[in-house]
Amino acid sequence: MSQLSAGICRRLNEAPQEEIDQLASGHTVQLLSIKKVAPTSSSTTATDRFRIIISDGVHFVQAMLATQLNDLVANGDINKNTVVIIDKLACNFVQDKRLIIILDLHVVSRNEEKIGTPTAPPSTQDAPAPAVLEATSSFVTSPATSSSIGQAKPIQPQPRTGPSGRGGRSVYPIEGLSPYQNNWTIKARVTQKSDIRTWSNQRGEGKLFNVTLMDESGEIRGTGFNAVVDELYEKFEEGKVYYISKARVNLAKKKFSNLQNDYELSLEKNTEVEECLETTSVPMMKYNFVELSSLEKLERDNTCDVIGVIKEVGPLGEITSKATNRTIPKRDLTIVDMSQYSVRLTLWGKQAEQFAADDLPVVAFKGVKVGDFGGRTLSMVSSSIMTISPDIEEAHLLRGWYDGIGTEKNFQSHTSGSSGASFGGFNRNEMRHLSDVKESQLGMSDKAEFFSTRATIMHIKSENISYPACPTQGCNKKVVDLGSGWKCEKCDKTFERPEYRYIMSMAVADWSGQAWLQGFNEAGLAVFGKTADEVHEIKERNEAEYNALMAQASGVTFNFSCRAKQDTYNDQTRVRYGISRITSLDYHEEAKHLVNLLKSPWAQ
Amino acid sequence: MNEHISMRVNSARLSGNKGRTVRLPCKVLRLSDDIAIVEASDGGQVEIQRKNVDMTATYVEVIGNVVDASTIKAMATLPLDSEGELDMQLVNDVIELTFESRFDKLFPRYKDT
Repeated sequence: MSQLSAGICRRLNEAPQEEIDQLASGHTVQLLSIKKVAPTSSSTTATDRFRIIISDGVHFVQAMLATQLNDLVANGDINKNTVVIIDKLACNFVQDKRLIIILDLHVVSRNEEKIGTPTAPPSTQDAPAPAVLEATSSFVTSPATSSSIGQAKPIQPQPRTGPSGRGGRSVYPIEGLSPYQNNWTIKARVTQKSDIRTWSNQRGEGKLFNVTLMDESGEIRGTGFNAVVDELYEKFEEGKVYYISKARVNLAKKKFSNLQNDYELSLEKNTEVEECLETTSVPMMKYNFVELSSLEKLERDNTCDVIGVIKEVGPLGEITSKATNRTIPKRDLTIVDMSQYSVRLTLWGKQAEQFAADDLPVVAFKGVKVGDFGGRTLSMVSSSIMTISPDIEEAHLLRGWYDGIGTEKNFQSHTSGSSGASFGGFNRNEMRHLSDVKESQLGMSDKAEFFSTRATIMHIKSENISYPACPTQGCNKKVVDLGSGWKCEKCDKTFERPEYRYIMSMAVADWSGQAWLQGFNEAGLAVFGKTADEVHEIKERNEAEYNALMAQASGVTFNFSCRAKQDTYNDQTRVRYGISRITSLDYHEEAKHLVNLLKSPWAQ
Repeated sequence: MNEHISMRVNSARLSGNKGRTVRLPCKVLRLSDDIAIVEASDGGQVEIQRKNVDMTATYVEVIGNVVDASTIKAMATLPLDSEGELDMQLVNDVIELTFESRFDKLFPRYKDT
């Protein structure tokens, strides 16, 4: 039979606030009963709550089990008469009653008999009585069955003057907040504070801001509108801990938040916010990191936490929001992690502008949204939190790994370019061979389709290799030879000399078949290594040299990213393959990929 | 017809091929008139007996007869320099792959293997 911590129940029942915090852990008790409490009808989730009776062999007290421990009940780890050691508990005072919440425990033994004959603890005034058995007749003798204990409420009412030193404030866990109790105070850290946002719709306009508050028991979102913004926005600082009371507890609007809590706080004019200086008991960020390689399993629009090394920082760009017609700054980062995958992550607004990390730091992201643009991408949303070089174990591991071997590794990218957007990158994982391209009738439907392939140039149609183009930057329109000059219809300007640009038809082939690809200026530059002007000049000057140049370009292999689309030309509809990107082969790189392919399960 | 088979090997595979003609892609570590010490793609060192055989490049493929597990009598060499760098790890991967049974039909094997 296990030895219970006799006297703990009585202390829990009697001790004032400060003592409870210290009584938190290490005590052995027996769970006399576990009962599911019906969720309140307004709660939208089906989270069960369990009320438990804990006994120290001498007395019993009621407590609630924190929802994070629900699994222990569900898989039978804890049940009637299980002996456990409490690792962490909290106590909140509800009007005159105290409610103990067990936040963490571990099981010592199960299937024991009920130890001792616990009774309801004596009703007391403030001073905690010594932890000794007192057999006076004023005690309520406990009935045999513990279930009926569960029904009656053996918690003796406590006078509210117990906790001292903080103006009558007794701290609630965030988990315990509900709309039915108004006299609470929470002690929480601001893990995230949003910018002030203004809105205007048919009903009017206003401004608001959000904060995410976190304590050991959970997280909750708080929102303040209009006048409250002026009052409280400056008061809240990210990373600091505050006592908050007299805010309204409402049902959470899940659309605006991705936190787990059913409720959220409305910060009002009479909400009190006081900075707390002893912050040790409030935890820092809690993460649930996902490996980048398993991002594919997550559906679009889900949120997740990731941690990785920033391998690349994109330039600051801008995007115009179709909805609001405003330009929003954005910046792409590429992060990698130990699963050897890389993914793009987008920062927006001020964060994009202010991002300045010259080295390659480890960054942790909480609550980023998963997108499926070109495979998988990540995006910061208003409630996402980015922490550069966090002081957590995963960050140190990543740092060590990257500095050691990560810099040389080739990462598998999540940008697979197959989701129909005009993504022109070369995607090695989805390469097709030419007969496959033709058989799958890519481009035969009305939409343009994309593919990547590796092929060798067999023949270039040398009759029409380039055209005279308008030299104006950005305008590539064909210019007409007026004799006195070359005129561009679009720019309405005449030039002495045009700038030639490549327009070529090339027959390329691989082991499976052959196809005709159309290349533009970029393709020509890659194939010939000379500008179209130069090649045009060679053609005019010396035909033999021109032919030699054409021959030299044949037989060279390239990686192509192509766009297949149907074209109607003089009543004839054909699929045309345009080259959107052409790259020379880095044989070393390609060989490595081939070796990997051969070692992969596909090749076995 | 196929008497002149020479498979590419690394230092570990020399002992299993004594007396056979092999090709060894390697990096030249030390060169003297009669002997060269080279490093094979798996990192092992091999002695090459190289009377009259030219071995002046940094990376070289030695074609020769296996004397013992750490010596080859060279018959000819091919320079392999590619701008001074050759990824020996990649070379080793390829060598090991050629010996896999699933590729028996692709690569000629020695008569009695």
